[in-house]
Amino acid sequence: MRDFWKTVFGYVLTFFLIITLNFALPRMMPGNPFVHLSGEDEEVFETASSEQVAYYNAYYGLDQPILTQYGDYLKGLLKGDLGFSYYYKTAVLDIVLRRILWTFLLAFSALILSFILGIILGSYSAWHRDSWQDRALYMLMTITSEIPPFLVGIVLLIVFAANLKLFPLSGSMKHFTTYTSMGEKVINILHHAILPVITLTFVRVGGVYLLVRNSLIGVLKQDYIRTAKAKGLREKRIQYVHALKNALLPLFTRLAMQLGTMMGGTILVENVFAYPGVGLLMRSAVNVRDYPLIQGVFLVLALTVMTANFAADHFYRKLDPRVRE
Amino acid sequence: MTKLILQIEGLQVNYRTDAHWVKGIHQIDLIQRQGQNIGIIGESGSGKTTLAMALMGLIESPHQVKGKILYKGTDLLKLSKNELKALRWKEIAMVFQNALDVLNPVMTIGEQITERLVELMGYSKEEASAEQEKLLEMVALEPHWKEAYPHQLSGGMRQRVLIAMAISCKPKLIIFDEPTSSLDVILRKNTIELIKELQATLGFSMMVISHDLSVMTELSEDLLVMYAGSIVETGKTDEVIHEANHPYTRGLISSSVQVFPYKDLWGIAGEAANAMDEGCTFAPRCTQKRESCFIFKPELKSVNPFRKVACHRGGIVHLLEAHNISKTYTIGKKKIEAVQGASFYVRHGETVALVGQSGSGKSTLAHMVSGFIPIDQGGVTFEKLPIEDGQVAQREGGIQLVLQDPFSSISRRLSVADVIEEPLNINGIGSIQERRDRTKEALNAVQLPVHDAFLKRLCSTLSGGQRQRIAIARALVMAPKLLIADEITSMMDVSTQANIMRLLKGLQNTKGFAMLYITHNIHLARKISERIIVLENGVIVESGATSHIMDNTDCCVTQELLETGLKLA
Repeated sequence: MRDFWKTVFGYVLTFFLIITLNFALPRMMPGNPFVHLSGEDEEVFETASSEQVAYYNAYYGLDQPILTQYGDYLKGLLKGDLGFSYYYKTAVLDIVLRRILWTFLLAFSALILSFILGIILGSYSAWHRDSWQDRALYMLMTITSEIPPFLVGIVLLIVFAANLKLFPLSGSMKHFTTYTSMGEKVINILHHAILPVITLTFVRVGGVYLLVRNSLIGVLKQDYIRTAKAKGLREKRIQYVHALKNALLPLFTRLAMQLGTMMGGTILVENVFAYPGVGLLMRSAVNVRDYPLIQGVFLVLALTVMTANFAADHFYRKLDPRVRE
Repeated sequence: MTKLILQIEGLQVNYRTDAHWVKGIHQIDLIQRQGQNIGIIGESGSGKTTLAMALMGLIESPHQVKGKILYKGTDLLKLSKNELKALRWKEIAMVFQNALDVLNPVMTIGEQITERLVELMGYSKEEASAEQEKLLEMVALEPHWKEAYPHQLSGGMRQRVLIAMAISCKPKLIIFDEPTSSLDVILRKNTIELIKELQATLGFSMMVISHDLSVMTELSEDLLVMYAGSIVETGKTDEVIHEANHPYTRGLISSSVQVFPYKDLWGIAGEAANAMDEGCTFAPRCTQKRESCFIFKPELKSVNPFRKVACHRGGIVHLLEAHNISKTYTIGKKKIEAVQGASFYVRHGETVALVGQSGSGKSTLAHMVSGFIPIDQGGVTFEKLPIEDGQVAQREGGIQLVLQDPFSSISRRLSVADVIEEPLNINGIGSIQERRDRTKEALNAVQLPVHDAFLKRLCSTLSGGQRQRIAIARALVMAPKLLIADEITSMMDVSTQANIMRLLKGLQNTKGFAMLYITHNIHLARKISERIIVLENGVIVESGATSHIMDNTDCCVTQELLETGLKLA
């Protein structure tokens, strides 16, 4: 029980640090939210006069002392109010919630795919250690895990979307069409998601592969594997029940840690594919210095990663009987 | 004749390490009949577990297994992977050495006990669960333990789980690897009893691997002694333990507190070697080796119908053999039969205690066998040659005698160096420089100073303990194969006695000479000797392994000596 409260305290402290940073970081950026009043990215902006800037500053309370602003921000958060977007003129929570589902779609699909692939390939490598297949896989995976996601995204975009025209160039679904059925809509959404998901999977799978391979190689040397072999158990049972169950334990901690980088990767990839998730949203929010929106996006991302961490920790306890008590 | 269950022919195991091969098993031949229990004993690294692994087919490439392992006539080494798999656990199972990692940490005990059975029989969850409870009950564990994970069990419980797992498919042969090594004495006893009970109900044959002799006496009828990947001795377990025939076996037994609860323990000198291609592997540590031992590999040969030993010298050499010897003194008209029809032997490297009261004929016997007094009847051979008039004491590698009273056995007028060099001088052995070197070496061995001042000291200036050490050193310069010690400590205070005894045993352990230790103190005999001969009125009334005699004497003199010897008042 003491440990439980310790954990809770840890999470609360982390959360508090995050929202503080959240508040401070946008304000440390050069520029002002009210300099650009309208216009899309990289377009010619309508520039506001200094009187207008002063007016908006007063209107949104940015002329208040920084601590007062901070206090107001915390008070709002306690009420579940993430603020009001300067740019979109809507509640930040609504915008972020609408967009985050797209990000989740990409991130979780890629996470699951990369884990499945990584586990299969890693197991294969570990069981056939030092064979040419293992060596080849090992080299390939080491290389792919080092390629930045946006580079992979751009290549895929150019080859499969622009040249071969197999996939759409941007967006998450085709707008302004009426779908005859739900299935058609789902297929359309998947069609849009394929390239971004492949990109993310491609860059993630190497890490998972290496971890599974190493972890499994260690497990295969253990006495209980020898026991399982001596018992004459089926190969599949030894591989997937005896060995993998042990080898996957460290992977769950990794899963949680991966989620942070996965979110980072997704943000970049969304920008490459102009995919309307929070990544794209964050970029535009930063461009126009929309403080509440930046704060909101950051907060939701941080919460996601923290929740995943917590879940992985919890899940690990369930899986490993040794840490259960 | 019962059917053979296991027949191993010319088994070799080579381990591949980086660039070269390391021999795990040099050459093993073995036969096990159905229902027979074989024990395999040896130090760690002797290849016991390797043998078990080879039997279970667990030695995989790049390592190498050669030869034949016939299980009920089928060569396991020729079977395909799947054929071997089918045999595993169903025919041959193994109780692995107890360690936390032997069981999968993330699976329940129950699942691990029956998983092979479930695969074989296609049991449902309920059937498997019932089977788990049944198996746990067979090893005296409560059924709820099936839900436990390995880390929740104590070492003793884990041992039971390992046994339950091994018997799950009712195998015909079970290999037990160190079944008791991690358990305390009470658990050890319980586990041994459990294994015996299970064998009585299930009727499997056993191969027990251990370095623990007490397990062997309980669980095996036949014993194989392994050293550096070869079998050096085989025989009936009780007989091998009572009288080992290979120097290595003897060393192993001498190191065992179960066999010698009272004797000082002496490990085998030197480090355990790896299997070698040429020569006897034990030769570097052996005290009765010859040059040829380093060249040829000894084969396992029968020395009697139940015993085989792999030794170029046919096992431990009988150094001294006395056949039916007698001695009669005539005092006036009265004939005193000091020794009558005594037959005994002293083997290489062992300590035999000759125990008896004063006047029982001990010293007479000792002087006869060393050739100092003529024998009336019978004969004595030393290294198979008859001894003649003390000649055997005049050469190196012969017999040396150390007497009770150092004050009269060493001339008070001679210097230390003169006394010790005397036998070399008289027998003309070595140059002057060599003699001096050997003297110093002997003094070193008996832990006396070697500087010139000490060498020149007159013996009259030395204490009794020092003089007795000098007497021992004088015997040692002749590098004897047999040292006869006639009550050498009886005149000394207890502390000096203890020091001299430890010194002698230590010297024996490294130099490997045999010792015939004559004493009236049976408790001292128990502390230092492997075998004991009890003499009464010139007749040998009892002889045998010290521990055996101490526990099972049926002779009144021995009993009397034992009882009176320890009384303090």
